[in-house]
Parts: sequence; C-alpha cells; structure tokens
Amino acid sequence: MPDKTHAQVREAVDGLRNKDDISLIDVLSLAETSIHSMKSFIDSLDSKIYSEFREIAEYIQNTKSEIGHLQANDLQSKHIPEAGMELSAVVTSTEEATTKIMECAEAILEADSSNTEAYKQTVNDKMMIIFEACSFQDITGQRISKVVETLEHIESRVSRFAAAIGAEDSDKPANAKEEKRLKRKKEQILNGPSQEGKGVSQDDIDALLNG
Amino acid sequence: MAVDLSIPVLVVDDYKTMIRIIRNLLKQLGFSDVDDAADGTEALGKMKQKKYGLVISDWNMEPMTGYELLKEVRTDDGLSRTPFIMVTAESKTENVIAAKKAGVNNYIVKPFNAATLKSKIDAVFGE
Repeated sequence: MPDKTHAQVREAVDGLRNKDDISLIDVLSLAETSIHSMKSFIDSLDSKIYSEFREIAEYIQNTKSEIGHLQANDLQSKHIPEAGMELSAVVTSTEEATTKIMECAEAILEADSSNTEAYKQTVNDKMMIIFEACSFQDITGQRISKVVETLEHIESRVSRFAAAIGAEDSDKPANAKEEKRLKRKKEQILNGPSQEGKGVSQDDIDALLNG
Repeated sequence: MAVDLSIPVLVVDDYKTMIRIIRNLLKQLGFSDVDDAADGTEALGKMKQKKYGLVISDWNMEPMTGYELLKEVRTDDGLSRTPFIMVTAESKTENVIAAKKAGVNNYIVKPFNAATLKSKIDAVFGE
C-alpha cells in the first residue's frame, strides 16, 4: 500500500514539473493526492503502536514535570550547601566549647591548692566558663534541626520523583569515585559510630577479645 | 607487674580534641612521655624514629587507618611487639574480630572513661 500511494504522489509531482504553467487547481489536486496518500498511511498504522507512542509522550511530559518539581538546581545551589554550612558550624562550636571546657579542667588540675582562697576563686571562675561554654548545646540543637529539615525536604522530593518514574535502586555505585569510596570503606571496615544500642558494648568487646 | 609509667606512649587520632583528652587522661594516670600523630602514616614514621612502649590509636583516619597501622606494625620486625590499643567509635563485631585477628592487644569503644582506659592499659601489661 505505501508503494502505491508513493507512486501516486510521485506521478502528481512529475505531472506538475512537466507543466509550464501551474494553476491553483493543480496545487490543490496535488495536496488532495498527498492527503489521500497520508490518510491511507496513517490508517495503515496499528492503533496499538499509536497508543504506545502516546503513552511514551505522556510519560516524557510527566517526567519533565517531575524533574521540575524536584528542583534539583535549588537543592544543589541552596539547600545542600546551607546544610553543609550548618554542620560545619556545629563542628566548630562543639570543638570550641570542648576546648574551653578542657582548658578550664586543665587549669583546675594545675591550680595550687595550698592557698585555699585563691584555689576556690580559680575553681569558681573556671566553673563559670564551663557553664557558659555549655550553652553551645542550644545553638547546635537548632542548627541540627535545620539540617534535619533540609534532609526531609530532599527526601520528600526524591521520593516523589522516584515514585513518578518508577525508579528501581541500582546495586552499582553511582560513579567511579563512589565505587572507590565504598571499596575502601569495605576493605577498612569503616562503619562509623553505631546508633545507641546498635553496636557492641565494651563488655561484649572484652568477651570477644578474651574468648 | 606494675605498669612502667615512664614508657613512651604514642596517641594516634585525627581529632586534636581527642588527642588532648587522651593526653590528659594519661597524664592523670601518671604517664609523662606522650607523643601524638594525626594518622597511621605519621604514626608509623614516628614509630620508626622512636621506640614506643604503647600505641593508643583511633581506627577511622586518612590516609592510613588505625587498622592499616596495626597490620603494618605487626608485620614490621622492629615494631611487631609494640603493645597496641585501639580506641574507636567503630563498634561492630566485625571490627573487633578483624582487630583481634590483626593482633590488637586491647580495644576500647568510644566514648570511654578514665577507668576503662586504665583497666585496658593494665590488662595489656598483665596486671
């Protein structure tokens, strides 16, 4: 069938080429022949294939929409760097507080206790600094809450995106750098600190070592 | 046998705060000759320069972990007998088993206290 329609269109075009004077009727006639030929071509398409293409087009449209909702640029340029800065600030403030507390403890340990009054004054002064240093806990709590909020924000968007595209987890690393990192982690048995109650206790460790 | 408090001790940790904590605890226990290193590579270099009577090392450090340091120490003829205590937040059974297999003398899980540090040092020196 396509060969026949192709021949009809070619015949009409060749007819026009051989004419010196082409009228509007000729052009309309060619258009009609073309439309007829296309109609027969479209009719020849399996309606199932058409339906498949339509579904693919809708899927692409939905995916584009979900990528937009993911707001990946916003996450990358704003939320993730901000969370990183908050965590860095937590590390800095806890380190500063720990250093202050240790300095006080060291000063108390080294203080001359033979002069009772002076010793008492030193202890009192250092204790006040320790109390002040402990105020970091309130600020770090707030900073960590912001990081948790960011993680929840990312989680909800990624979950929505994954559900929309029917994503399945790959068991392979995302890239070569990640692969290298995971390999090293496995070789060096780097699990990091365990959550409360999840790791082995000191008693369990002693039993393992002595068993 | 009492622990010889004059032995040189090497503390290996990538966190200065933790080094300071362990240094202070060791000082309170009576140890006077304490050096430190920020990772396994630096520690190994120091151990080849000076004979240490005890190494107290963290596990998770870069570029050389405490686990790698322990294995390097145990395969080096000049260092293999050095008492080695791992002080780490790595608290999975597989970590303890791997450390034991590599020849660790004792294993302390963070956070820890002075009494635990003292008891493990005592245990290493057979008290």
